[in-house]
Amino acid sequence: MNIGTRKLLDRSFTAVGFTSIMLMALALLAVLVPIITGGIKALYFQGTVEHRTLLFNEFQRGDEAKLAVDAERSEAARKPVYEYLAAFDTELESLPFERKRALESEYHHVRDTLHELLGPLPGDTPPLLLRFQYGVTRWEKAEEELHNLLYMTKWDYSDPTKMATQYFAPRVDEFTGTSLEGLFGYVEEHLEEMLLPQPEFYWGFITDRSLDAHIFGGVWAEIQGTFYLAIGAMLFAFPLGVIAAIYFTEYAKDNYLTSMLRSANSTLAGVPSIVFGLFGLAFFINTMKVSESKSVLAGSLTLAIMILPTIIRAAEEAILSVPKTYREASLGLGATKWRTIMTVILPAALPGIITGGIISLGRAAGETAPIIFTAAVSVGATIGIADVFTEPTPALSWNIYNLASEHEAANEIRHVQYGMVMALISIVLLLNISAILLRARISQKLKG
Amino acid sequence: MKMFRKLLLAAAIFGFTAGPAHAGDAIVMDGSTTVGPIAKSFAAYFTKNYGVQVTVSESGSGNGAKSLINGACDIANMSRGMKDAEVAAAKSKGVDPVSHVVALDGIAVVLHPSNFVSALTVDQIRDIYTGKVTNWNKVGGPSAKIVVIQRESNSGTQDSFRSLVVGKKNPITKRAETQASNGAVKSRVASTPAAIGFIGLGFVDNSVKAISVNGVKPSIDTVKDGSYPVARPLFMVTNGQPTGNVKKLIELNRTADGKQMISELGYVNKY
Repeated sequence: MNIGTRKLLDRSFTAVGFTSIMLMALALLAVLVPIITGGIKALYFQGTVEHRTLLFNEFQRGDEAKLAVDAERSEAARKPVYEYLAAFDTELESLPFERKRALESEYHHVRDTLHELLGPLPGDTPPLLLRFQYGVTRWEKAEEELHNLLYMTKWDYSDPTKMATQYFAPRVDEFTGTSLEGLFGYVEEHLEEMLLPQPEFYWGFITDRSLDAHIFGGVWAEIQGTFYLAIGAMLFAFPLGVIAAIYFTEYAKDNYLTSMLRSANSTLAGVPSIVFGLFGLAFFINTMKVSESKSVLAGSLTLAIMILPTIIRAAEEAILSVPKTYREASLGLGATKWRTIMTVILPAALPGIITGGIISLGRAAGETAPIIFTAAVSVGATIGIADVFTEPTPALSWNIYNLASEHEAANEIRHVQYGMVMALISIVLLLNISAILLRARISQKLKG
Repeated sequence: MKMFRKLLLAAAIFGFTAGPAHAGDAIVMDGSTTVGPIAKSFAAYFTKNYGVQVTVSESGSGNGAKSLINGACDIANMSRGMKDAEVAAAKSKGVDPVSHVVALDGIAVVLHPSNFVSALTVDQIRDIYTGKVTNWNKVGGPSAKIVVIQRESNSGTQDSFRSLVVGKKNPITKRAETQASNGAVKSRVASTPAAIGFIGLGFVDNSVKAISVNGVKPSIDTVKDGSYPVARPLFMVTNGQPTGNVKKLIELNRTADGKQMISELGYVNKY
């Protein structure tokens, strides 16, 4: 091969490598950008007076005097709306029966949408569920609701061979000539005064408990549960994994049994996580009865078994990569095998062992399947550390799934889902960064 | 290792201070996603008014039953009755399942709003689900291939739908797509113009169109008076007759507050 061809091949390989790295970076960006932009909305948004009232009533947070002023201002702006409704209520009674029936269902929609916007209207029975006790808490939702109030979504069914197309018709047309006619224009004009939106940094999303099944409030219980589960799994898996790795590399003889154990370990690393989840349910809860029902303990044990193979493999590699001369020098100085392992080999291998730990910790925090049956619940309070042996906990990974697919108001609380995803990613990142720093410090020490 | 230890310690202290210690008598509920909203609201109400912790998992009726049989939960939420096999399994483990009707629920058959079909008969729905009818123009709709959506076998809603509409013996068409929860079926139908699916009445909103079945619109009134054909009771199942707090929680649906919560959530009161 002449120099020219060689150079060309070399260059083209560089180009291919560079392109694939760029593609991966782009893919990562495509994943992260929506998560971050969506997640920020859970923390920073245009909050309405309803949100401030909610925070004050449920968490006693906020400036009471200022809230009272705001409440009075918004009440003043809402008053004409309530007057329109009261006037129309009396007018409705006086209408001929057929006209009344035609208007009633439309009027029902108007009242429902106004309830969504402003909270319970005068004359409504006070609702028990928190989600119905307040109007819209976020301004972007208010704009959607306003559109629902002003326009009816209709479908054009004129062509019976095709799917219909959507169009909007002004709702006010249904009410021309009635006392309600003025309401629509008024609400459109004065919505801002009724809700008084202002930019709000809701840090409580991280530290508050959830209210009414995550419709309001924060995700502290989930964050705490994720920490408990990930750290609990590490507490079991890390020491066990390192001990197993020491056995494999230092003590085990190179025979049939050892190679069987090794391949069993590799196989275990490839088992789907749901299998671990079912195993955890069958073994830890139903057979061993480590707890009466789901618990953090059972979940941690299940996760520990799941991450054990990774930890063993990483620790093994790390120990094997310690130069032979270290060992020989230590043994040559008269140290026992045990002492050599503890004072020479393990410290030298520690950075590599911790890398394995980091990867596993991130995986334990993010896995959903192993905890579905062993630890996670969709609604539950924050638990103290003394309760981890008996109590289940909500956890980010499972609750993200639960909110996105099973929650009855999944479409209304997209911001909570994104906020949870961002919290989970931040936790994993935080754990990784602190472990990377730790590893760097240890390497530094070893060199020095 | 110092920093790692510090980190662990910090996390531990975090947990200690953050979690309010509570009495050990927590109530554990597991099961149906359809009963889920009621269970979650009851749980929040109960914790607020009686200070008793209640945890709720939504893993499907089948898992709720298994959980009760294994003694892993106090109350199994079920959107169908206990099956004979489940009762037998429970008895063999010394568990005596007692079912309590918590509310009534209609199963709404939902279509995309762009589909102008607004009523079907039970027979037509059965034909769609068994695969006899594969195009909307056979049942008076536009010419479009029907996308059939069902629930997973663990679902109580699926079970009730099969016995009420399709018939236990008739197999559902192999082309049917399976979704894992009421919410998932709803969003699949809302994004697929030619889809048909079924969800609990409490989950219906204006992103999908609930159609009349045998000429009866699904609503609280028609479910209550029994005229809507695809309706079923929802259960909370306990081991033996409930006592103490569990009894109080189960009987919440007879109190004025409980009734109001059930109807605010869009379900139908039995009492």
